Amino acid sequence: MSKEIDQPESTGRPHVDRTSEVLNRMARSLEEGEVPIEILNDEEVHEREMERIFGQSWVYVGHESEIPEPGDYRQRRIGKDPFIFTRTEQGEIKVLFNSCRHRGANVCRAEKGNTTHFRCPYHGWTYQNNGDLVGVPQKGAGFSHLDADEYGLHEAPHVDDYNDLVFACVNPDAPPLEEHLGGATWFLDMYFDFIDMEVIGDPHRWEVDIDWKTPTENFYGDNYHVPMGHKSAIDVGVGSDTATGEKQSELYGVADCDGHGFSFYQIESEEPSFWGHPPEVVETFNDDVLTDEQYEVARKSGVTLGSVFPNLSFIFLGGSDDPDKGSVGTFCLRQWQPRGPGKMEAWNWVLAPEHASQEYKERVYEVGMGLFSPSGSFEVDDIGIWEGMDDAAESVFAKDGKVRTLFTMGSAPDAAATEVSDWDGPGTAYVDGGLTDENQLDFYRAWHDAMTTEGVQ
Amino acid sequence: MATDGQPTHVVRAECEEFLYHAAELLDERRLSEWHELLTEDVTYKVPIRTTRERSNESEFSDESFHMKEDWRTLKVRTERMQNDFAWSEDPPSRTRRHVTSVRIVDETDDEIEVKSNLLLFRARRDDTDPDLLSMERQDVLRRTDEGLRLAKRSVHLDHTTIPTDSLSIIL
Repeated sequence: MSKEIDQPESTGRPHVDRTSEVLNRMARSLEEGEVPIEILNDEEVHEREMERIFGQSWVYVGHESEIPEPGDYRQRRIGKDPFIFTRTEQGEIKVLFNSCRHRGANVCRAEKGNTTHFRCPYHGWTYQNNGDLVGVPQKGAGFSHLDADEYGLHEAPHVDDYNDLVFACVNPDAPPLEEHLGGATWFLDMYFDFIDMEVIGDPHRWEVDIDWKTPTENFYGDNYHVPMGHKSAIDVGVGSDTATGEKQSELYGVADCDGHGFSFYQIESEEPSFWGHPPEVVETFNDDVLTDEQYEVARKSGVTLGSVFPNLSFIFLGGSDDPDKGSVGTFCLRQWQPRGPGKMEAWNWVLAPEHASQEYKERVYEVGMGLFSPSGSFEVDDIGIWEGMDDAAESVFAKDGKVRTLFTMGSAPDAAATEVSDWDGPGTAYVDGGLTDENQLDFYRAWHDAMTTEGVQ
Repeated sequence: MATDGQPTHVVRAECEEFLYHAAELLDERRLSEWHELLTEDVTYKVPIRTTRERSNESEFSDESFHMKEDWRTLKVRTERMQNDFAWSEDPPSRTRRHVTSVRIVDETDDEIEVKSNLLLFRARRDDTDPDLLSMERQDVLRRTDEGLRLAKRSVHLDHTTIPTDSLSIIL
């Protein structure tokens, strides 16, 4: 093993690699609500994330509405690995590894399209859109020994959907998707079962020099940053009706939710809220799929946000990109794609209720794009604030756990955030939920668990 | 080509003057002055581009955009960008817009359709590696009593994934 070449002369003690030391120290610091900043930009930590998190966990691939017809495909990533998200002629969804079984060239070169076959441009090996190898040039002369049934495209061993959200897992020993999602299903039902959602167009994608964990953790429920970080947008009157002060609300944070985290604003009013959707759109929702408790939360919902471990986040809000135009309910689904230590690509999809009018969907798109996208009035300031965090994270000064970030808000006995005693949903809900770090700390607890567990996630 | 009899190079020079001036205002962060160069019915779009097979008609989405704006939303955006709490541009990124290859596509009595290339250099903090954004802009400029005004812009990026961390700038 090449790793051992670099090791110093034997000290008689078993060697613990540096990443393991970081993780060991982190186990202790998490108890105190602190996270070493060095994990946000470290080559070895990043490599282990690729193996232990993106190589073991269920990862979001796409929404069924992105490939509605047989033959539709889109290129997607699981961590940094290239996959094709495709619908077969029989309508089945597959997640195929984008690499020819012969010499490894990409068989799919466009990022989306419709095809019955993927043909490798190198030697012409041809696969059906379900991955089956159906064509090998000169097979009789050169490859008569090859059993084509054994050489279909590799595929993610587990692919499953939850309310049209398709996830894949490259770990053969994966638990069922619903087990991974756990308490997150309570929330996902409210957005994707109660409402028939569809993705509008193509995702925004842009490169950012920050670690994927920072925005993921933020969407576990960092509502504390909104008044400061997003003051410019709030000042000009755009964003959610609760952020602009248009509507009064109570904020809840949900922690202890099987490794995922959520928060939601509840507007106490006779008038239903439903994330800003007007009555004619709410009429199209599927009332009967929610419990009474979920329905009540949905009815009062202003902004709702959250993250599903490892790297899928969303924000659902009633608001506008123009103070003179009415509010609509816009849903932004985002995935923070790791690209290297301290580097990511942000992906953002805007979703609208499928049965709403075309005109309404266009407004949903404009508001989603106007607030959350590379040009989004909220997004840009988040990114602007995070810039430079990567320098601190990779510094010598911060190594060996010497610099830690703080997740202890709301931990004092007299803290404002308090547990909701009659909460019917999953996990533990806090009222004044913007003033606790419990939900965001859950991200790092889940991350640490995944990083220190080999095998099943 | 010119309907009022002006030779193309004269019309082009007039458009170049306008485009250079607009670029200067943006580079100097004089965003309110830039906004005054828009007609009230302006449409401003930056469609998302995707990598497609060559046989496809267009790589540009007609339903998804990085920006899809009107006079009002551009007003809100430029006001926000100048707010004291607009962290993405404070300290501001340093931009230099290189406008080239100005082509007159069509001209009527009151409007000129013009294409131009834009290479936008953007430097942040003390980074020595700039972000470079390359694009073609398809504009409609309208003759008004105040001179030329931007009535329509469609920005065709040469990027699918945006190679800069935020579009807290105008293209």
